[in-house]
Order: sequence, then C-alpha cells, then structure tokens
Amino acid sequence: MSDDAQSSRREAARRRDREPQAWWLWKGPAVVWLVLLVLFGLSLGTAYLPLGNGNVAANLAIAAVMIALLAAFLMDLRSAQAIIRITAGAGLFWLILMFSLTFNDYLSRHY
Amino acid sequence: MSDTAGALQHPWSTLRLQREGVGLGMWIFLASEVLFFGGLFASYAVYRSFNEDAFRVAGEHAEIVYGSINTVVLLTSSLTMTVALRAATANMRDLTLVCLGITAALGAAFLLCKGLEYREDLKEHLFPGPHFPLSPPATQLFWGFYWIMTGIHAVHLCGGIAAVLTVFVLFKRRVIPVQGSTMEGLAIYWHFVDSVWLVLYPLLYLAGRS
Repeated sequence: MSDDAQSSRREAARRRDREPQAWWLWKGPAVVWLVLLVLFGLSLGTAYLPLGNGNVAANLAIAAVMIALLAAFLMDLRSAQAIIRITAGAGLFWLILMFSLTFNDYLSRHY
Repeated sequence: MSDTAGALQHPWSTLRLQREGVGLGMWIFLASEVLFFGGLFASYAVYRSFNEDAFRVAGEHAEIVYGSINTVVLLTSSLTMTVALRAATANMRDLTLVCLGITAALGAAFLLCKGLEYREDLKEHLFPGPHFPLSPPATQLFWGFYWIMTGIHAVHLCGGIAAVLTVFVLFKRRVIPVQGSTMEGLAIYWHFVDSVWLVLYPLLYLAGRS
C-alpha cells in the first residue's frame, strides 16, 4: 500500500520534471519560428511597394537573413564544431564564386 | 537507459561524436546540393537580368496565395522538426514521434497545396510551349524555371517525407533508438529543403507584385 503510494508519488514527480522540460524544448525554436514568420510577412508586404529594382533586393536580403537564422539556430551551426561550419561555408563559398564568375562575363559584355 | 546503449555505433567513442559525424556527412552532401540549386539560381539570375520586364509580367501570374501558405507550412514544419531533434537528443520518445508525425503531415500538406496550385497553373496554360498565353516570349523562360525549380524542390520534399516516415516507423517499432544519430542527419536535410523554398518564394512568387 505504502509502496504503491510512494511509487505513484515518484511517478507524479517525474512527470512534473518532464513537463517543464518539454516546454523548454519548444521555447527556443518557437522564438526563431516567430521571427521567421515576421520576416516572411515583411517580405510579402514590401513586395507590393513600388521600389523598382529595390523590390528584388529587399526580398532576397530578407530571404538571406531568414536562411541565416534557420542555419544558425535550427540547423545548429551556431553551436557546431568548426569542421561542420567550414563544410557548410564551403557550399556558400563555391556558390559565391559561381555567381561572381558568371556575372563577370554577362555584365561586362557590350552588345 | 537501454535505449541509449543501442544507440552508440562502431567506431564512435561517444554519442556526441557520432552525431557530429552524421552532421558532417549530411553537410558535405548539402554543400553539393547548394551548388546543384545554385546552378538553377544563377541561370535564373542571368535570364532575369536580360528580360526584366518579361519576368515581371510572368511573375504576376504565379499563385501568391498558395505560395505564401506553403511558406508558412514549411517554416512550421521546420519548427516541429527541430523539436523532434531536441526531444530525441533528450531521449523523449513520445514527443519525438509526435513531432515527426506533424512534420510529415505538414510536408504532405505542402505537396497537396502545390498540387492544387499546379492545377490552377495548367488551367491557365502556363506551361511553356504552343498556346502559351503570355507575351513577350521571354515570359516562357520564367515559367520554365517555375516548373523546373518547384518540381525539383517537390522531389526533394518527397524524399524528406519518405525519410521522416521511415524513421518514424523504425522509432515506433523500436528498431533503432531515438537517442542515436539518425535524427541529426534527417533534421539538417529537412531544414535545407525549407531553405531552398525560402529562395524560390521571392524569385517565383514575389517577382512582379509591385
């Protein structure tokens, strides 16, 4: 009888311990998610403003910030080992090189 | 505790190192994926820089409502995927399973929405070729990119959903322990597919709104 009571009390205590932990797991990612939703709204909103070429610049800048947030906080690059960050950075590096070399050609042509 | 014991695999000395190994492998794959999608983005940029007006006209016809709903759906799936990873690391099996299930459901919702959108696009004959309704002719370039980019993205998402469902079943049947390194690779891949969409959204849906 007392053993039962003790074990059910222990069970309740364990559940109490677990619940705040589950809530705590949601907290960090949820904040990032809310910021991402705000940025998405900003991107959608500014797309309707008559900014000329500024529209695509603003939209892509916001997208870059969103991806940076996603990579840092949700893909955990913020706390990742140097070798993982270097590998992720390598993708970005070659992407920049591809764009630079491509547009070196196209933007310097005279028709 | 027995769950943890089966999680560690040869040749790793700790679970943390094993997870980092999986993360590194996935990032190497994703770096090559960045260049794969980067090639598409670069060619889009080249054609758009030469056909600014045509891309603006063509962009007006993209279904902004479906595109926006899908952006929110994918962002939310990234939230549940992150919580699934955190829960798996903390060995909270139930929460991991629930979050994986929601993530797969959101992925399926994205595909459903995309299918409805494709139906609308085809109703308007927005497929490059004869009877294309828009002019100038370069508007077909935009729609060519639209179908290729969203199609390849959808293929990646299908792969992601299949992987999430497979891992869900393996966890559910206790074939592999949740606390292992499986979730590490799965979560990073899922977020990458989300990231690609965050670039596609402004390129395809926000072009020509102003």
